[in-house]
Amino acid sequence: MTESLAARQAALVEALTSGKPVPHGIDGFRFEAARTALLRKRAGEVSRQWPMLAASFGARWKREFADWAAARPTQGSLRDGWDLARELHARGSLKGAAAEEFAGREAAMRYDGASAPHPRRTPAWRSAAGAVVVQFRGRVRVIRRAG
Amino acid sequence: MADVEYGVGIGWRPEISGFVAELPGLRFAEVVAESVHAHGDLPAGLSELLERGVTVIPHGVRLGLGGAEAVDPDRVRHLATVAERVGAPLVSEHIAFVRAGGVEAGHLLPLPRSRDAVDAMVANVRRTQAELAVPIALEPIAALFDWPDDELSEADFITEILDRTGAHLLLDIANVYANARNRGTDPLELLDKLPLDRIAYVHVAGGDEHDGLYHDTHTHATPQPVLDLITELCRRHRPPALMLERDGDYPPAGELRSELDAIAAASGYHPIT
Repeated sequence: MTESLAARQAALVEALTSGKPVPHGIDGFRFEAARTALLRKRAGEVSRQWPMLAASFGARWKREFADWAAARPTQGSLRDGWDLARELHARGSLKGAAAEEFAGREAAMRYDGASAPHPRRTPAWRSAAGAVVVQFRGRVRVIRRAG
Repeated sequence: MADVEYGVGIGWRPEISGFVAELPGLRFAEVVAESVHAHGDLPAGLSELLERGVTVIPHGVRLGLGGAEAVDPDRVRHLATVAERVGAPLVSEHIAFVRAGGVEAGHLLPLPRSRDAVDAMVANVRRTQAELAVPIALEPIAALFDWPDDELSEADFITEILDRTGAHLLLDIANVYANARNRGTDPLELLDKLPLDRIAYVHVAGGDEHDGLYHDTHTHATPQPVLDLITELCRRHRPPALMLERDGDYPPAGELRSELDAIAAASGYHPIT
């Protein structure tokens, strides 16, 4: 009895997105090449949604994102970047323009970490490094502290 | 789509919207279906193209028609709605799966070339066709790895899916090149075995080599061997339309124009620049 198509496909996706071993019979070198290409493609997609977050890593972005994402299946580039930014924010390592970008998103949209973000219907504000981000009727403004 | 010669086209992306708008000879473009809202405003550049009479083909990338599970009816409905909104004569999707067991792969993944995979693909294409007012074209993908124990050759696998669904073929000539190069097979042999009269249009794109494997990146210039394959394809059966796919690291307009001109030269169609 051969394994069902559904089971084979599920094992392959799990291996590809969760850092699990290569499924039996598939060339390991080629599978790793595909895994790496996929992570780098994801990094590129996230950098379009989160340009300041990506820029804050400079030339290390693709590698650092790939390390972070290796065992995290994608939730779409908006949420992937958001999850990473929240982790960095919690560690206090989100700085400058990346911190402002993050605060802007948090002020503009409600994101529970588990489902698609939605625009906030009520005004909100978040503080970022050296600035306050205010959202009112969907418009986001950054107010920088003097000095 | 198969009755009209559209010549050379391009994949419309927001980043190159201005460039695409200024192509004087453009008669068709493709848009990623998932990037178009079903009910909100169309992206500005796309509306302009439609007003100019440019034919726009919605290209789905997230249906996952090759998945063992039934295709999500909401995704099918979205594709059908976008096709209606842009007045498309045709839509397209891939011979691939993109998720399984509730997990998104974030990428097009190759199907095992087995009977049960053909059955799953055919069932989902039929479910999709039932909701569409226009024909669908199916695109074989580039794969860096293959499944073990394939039961069918690539040509037989593709042909059987097309035969059983009545779908058109969206042939990605860069994928033909990439797969042949990475598998060490002859791309012309595949061209000789595919039903070239079923081609609705052709994708052309660039790639890059890493560690001995050719990656179909869509972020590099189209290499000469891919342009040569276009000429070989057109010698056998010239498809009604060919288009450049570029998905990032956009070069200056002059370079993009040269690539479009090279596709025109390789296929014998008029330059559109």
